[in-house]
Amino acid sequence: MKGEKEDMKRSKQNSGQILLIAAFIMASLLLSARLYILEVGKITAETASHSVSDLILAANVGSRHVVTGSLANISNGGSSSTLASNLARWSSLIDRQYRFGKNVLNYTLRESSPYSYGVWINWDINGTGISSAYVDFTYKLSDQEVDVDYSYFINVTTIVLIECSYRIVSGDTKQVNATIKVLNEQDSALAKQIAVHYKFSDSWLIPNDYQITDYGNGTYVTSFTVDIPSETVQVSAHVVDQRGVFVQANATAMQV
Amino acid sequence: MFDRKGQTRIIEAFFSIAVVFSVLLISATLPSQPDLTGQRELANLGTQALMKLDANGTLGNLIVQENWTVIKTSLDVLLPLGVSFNLTVYDVNMLPINSQAIQNSNLQGHEAVSVEYVCATQTTNTEFFVLRLQLAWTK
Repeated sequence: MKGEKEDMKRSKQNSGQILLIAAFIMASLLLSARLYILEVGKITAETASHSVSDLILAANVGSRHVVTGSLANISNGGSSSTLASNLARWSSLIDRQYRFGKNVLNYTLRESSPYSYGVWINWDINGTGISSAYVDFTYKLSDQEVDVDYSYFINVTTIVLIECSYRIVSGDTKQVNATIKVLNEQDSALAKQIAVHYKFSDSWLIPNDYQITDYGNGTYVTSFTVDIPSETVQVSAHVVDQRGVFVQANATAMQV
Repeated sequence: MFDRKGQTRIIEAFFSIAVVFSVLLISATLPSQPDLTGQRELANLGTQALMKLDANGTLGNLIVQENWTVIKTSLDVLLPLGVSFNLTVYDVNMLPINSQAIQNSNLQGHEAVSVEYVCATQTTNTEFFVLRLQLAWTK
């Protein structure tokens, strides 16, 4: 009986300390809950802030590289299915990248004339050679916060224009002058490699003494001497642009 | 004796209330929305740097050539002073392929932002890579 009374007395004496401890516990709980809410908010906001824009921009730039690389492959003798297979791999990679929602990159190869399977290569026009690829893209991204539907197209076109003429030096010896212009998407562009050929007896030959003057603005001038009895000279320019796309352009040189 | 006990109780209660109120005051000063301006800015800087490097296919070519030193130097130039970075290049199976570290300083101890970027090469033999760029303000 006496012991119970002493216990009660002691507990009453300690009640102030318990109050303080309880206050500390409450305070720490309040503070940690507040900090936790702040940290969770930070993670969510971060995810929403830069993942979406990064993916859209990267998809656009990467799509251009895929189309350009595929056109370079096809124009250098690769299979015409290269563009479709590369785009399928690219689309699959993009689809896998976004882990917070649905992410789909669809593509349609241009089929309307003159394109076929997204590619148009024409090296038979007199004075002009074209290597081109055209693909339409639709990028769809959706999660809890964003719903993006973004359409764009990629058109990669390299055009080579060639103009040539000759003057008779003596007998069948002719000096041929040719001006070659390189265009990327209608703008002047530099070539990585240029080779000039002329036709003699159904064979394309490389002139012995030809030199190319680079004007630095996508215009190249070449001059060479040939011994051909015919009244015209068939000239061909084989150009690889800075992107690796190959174009061949043929022209007939007439006497000036 | 009883008066002293009463005073002690009052002081204890006062301290308890003070503790709870001070915590409430501290939590009120914390921002209700996290300030992500710095992190967003850092992420944008990282994305812009990679985009610039990738704009004409240079980034893909450097990866194919395994020229990690030039990638590191380019990022040093493209990113402002006071930004530390660490770049890891993965193949399509998410296996790291950079044989040496592409970083300008150690990010340990700094609050880092991670930017993920998919890269396609502009070569005739098209290859794909995933890049993870970690950035932190160091100054």
